[in-house]
Amino acid sequence: MEFDGMDALPDGVVQSILSQLSNARDVAACSGVSRCWRDCVPFLPALYFPRSAFDAAGAGACADDAIGRMVEAAARLEELVIYCPFSSARLPRWLAMRSASLRVLELRVDSAADKAAAAASGAGSGHLDCIGVVSTLQELRLWGLTMTRAPSWGQLGRLRVLEIVGAHLEDLAVSGAVYACPNLTDLALLGCECSGAVNFTLPLLERCRLDFVGSGSCALTLAAPRVESLEVQGFNWIVLQGGDRLKRLTIAKNTGSVYSLGIERLPVLEQLSLRGVQWSWGAVSYLLQCAAEVRHLVMKVEFCGDFDTLQPFPEVDLVEFFNTHPKLRRFEIHGAMFAALCQKNSLKNLDSRFSISSLEEVLITVRSPLNAEQKLITLESLVCCSPRLLSMVIRISQMKNCHEASDEFFEEICKFAHVNKGRVRIE
Amino acid sequence: MAATTADGNKVDEAVGGEKSKMITLKSSDSEQFEMTREAAVMSQTIQHMIEDDCVDSGVPLPNVGSKILAMVIEYRNRHVDASSDSAGEKEDLKSFDESFVKVDQPTLFDIILAANYLDIKGLLDLSCQTVADMIKGKSVEEIRKTFNIKNDYTPDEEEEIPRENQWAFE
Repeated sequence: MEFDGMDALPDGVVQSILSQLSNARDVAACSGVSRCWRDCVPFLPALYFPRSAFDAAGAGACADDAIGRMVEAAARLEELVIYCPFSSARLPRWLAMRSASLRVLELRVDSAADKAAAAASGAGSGHLDCIGVVSTLQELRLWGLTMTRAPSWGQLGRLRVLEIVGAHLEDLAVSGAVYACPNLTDLALLGCECSGAVNFTLPLLERCRLDFVGSGSCALTLAAPRVESLEVQGFNWIVLQGGDRLKRLTIAKNTGSVYSLGIERLPVLEQLSLRGVQWSWGAVSYLLQCAAEVRHLVMKVEFCGDFDTLQPFPEVDLVEFFNTHPKLRRFEIHGAMFAALCQKNSLKNLDSRFSISSLEEVLITVRSPLNAEQKLITLESLVCCSPRLLSMVIRISQMKNCHEASDEFFEEICKFAHVNKGRVRIE
Repeated sequence: MAATTADGNKVDEAVGGEKSKMITLKSSDSEQFEMTREAAVMSQTIQHMIEDDCVDSGVPLPNVGSKILAMVIEYRNRHVDASSDSAGEKEDLKSFDESFVKVDQPTLFDIILAANYLDIKGLLDLSCQTVADMIKGKSVEEIRKTFNIKNDYTPDEEEEIPRENQWAFE
């Protein structure tokens, strides 16, 4: 077959080729190449406007006009991603044009011009109300949002994925927004400043990540009977209704305290991670009780205490701990929590019949040489009682009270590692 | 659709009652290629021909030259074999695909045309994506030059375009 150049390709094939492009610059360039190529634009399924798309031309009207023209031309548009600054006043028209075909929408809504206008007019998030007209929407991602009242979305019944990143949210506003999306399977609210109480009821939710930052206190109530993976950071009070299918759970609080947890049961939980500065001991022990089947456990909390006074952990009986978590395969424990396993009475129930039968990998962080002897005995017990142990890693970080005791302790640990070479190593 | 028994013999309803595993394809320059029926039906076009019972003396493909047909057959044989879900196999297949499309432009377009004619979705997507990757980041002039495309805009129309899309040409 003679090569006549791309001109010889049938239109349908040119369409297939151009449909693989979504970057707005490429699309604009293509429509300038020839008439045939320009006629392919209506068939494009996706348009992506990167952050710097209009930098050279100077944003403002130019950007809005270009976006409007391209969205209008792409009659079957399914995916629209706008990272460059745009005027939110134009958004309703763009969405209305494509409300029958759009499935995926991603917007950066933190343009400074918009913020100023919004502040001036007192509108909270009125400019996002127009998203409600896109009844076919399946995925929605919003960046840099400020939401002071719930948007009027009606019911986005087809929406499965909602992600909001880097936002200022009022608690009632975000609860209202999620209420408008009852069929979500994936919810992610990351880097969101919010305080107060948020309430989500999502019968189809499978995966959820909530990362709330900011100084105020915050309570979470989540009713999600099908959730399989849940990661939350930043809540002082947590109530979870429906842990029957939960397999992976992470609860963290980077500043402040976790006061209480309300969880019914976690029969299939495989992975559990507790992290934070301070947790109430009641919350910790309750959670450990619920997680009897857990295989992978990470415990990294620095203090306990029910009020603002930071307290060390009460002693934890080692034998009871491992007997109540018989399926534990991977175990990570840090600093103060490890110290709680090494108290005088922690090993009182240890006898020759005790065995940690499933344990294969252990990671321990040791921070202080206090109680050095007890800690070494605990390390030795762990190794002796775990027939399946493949690897124990001991991290010695930032030894507090650096003086002779630390050096001695460090030496003892090195000896211990040497004796158990192959299974134990130091980082 | 033809059923397959455990030992690989295909129960044949099309080719005169014979049990035949191999299909003969004839390129535009009359070269003959044999391939398994299983691989052959990755092409919707060939599948329909088999169902319509016109493959007694081989499948004529007047639109596909022998060089390209040989490549297409190689692609299909490779993809028909790779039915496992293992990660290693997927990596291998990906490498195969990547090298497969490292050809000169005329060959690439011939592959696209063949994949389009034979209706082989996987190969069509792969080759179209390759061309799309060649378009990305280029200016209008560069695109025209790379692919030897005739500019069919009138001079007036040509003036309008840059103004509209000035931002893309900076």
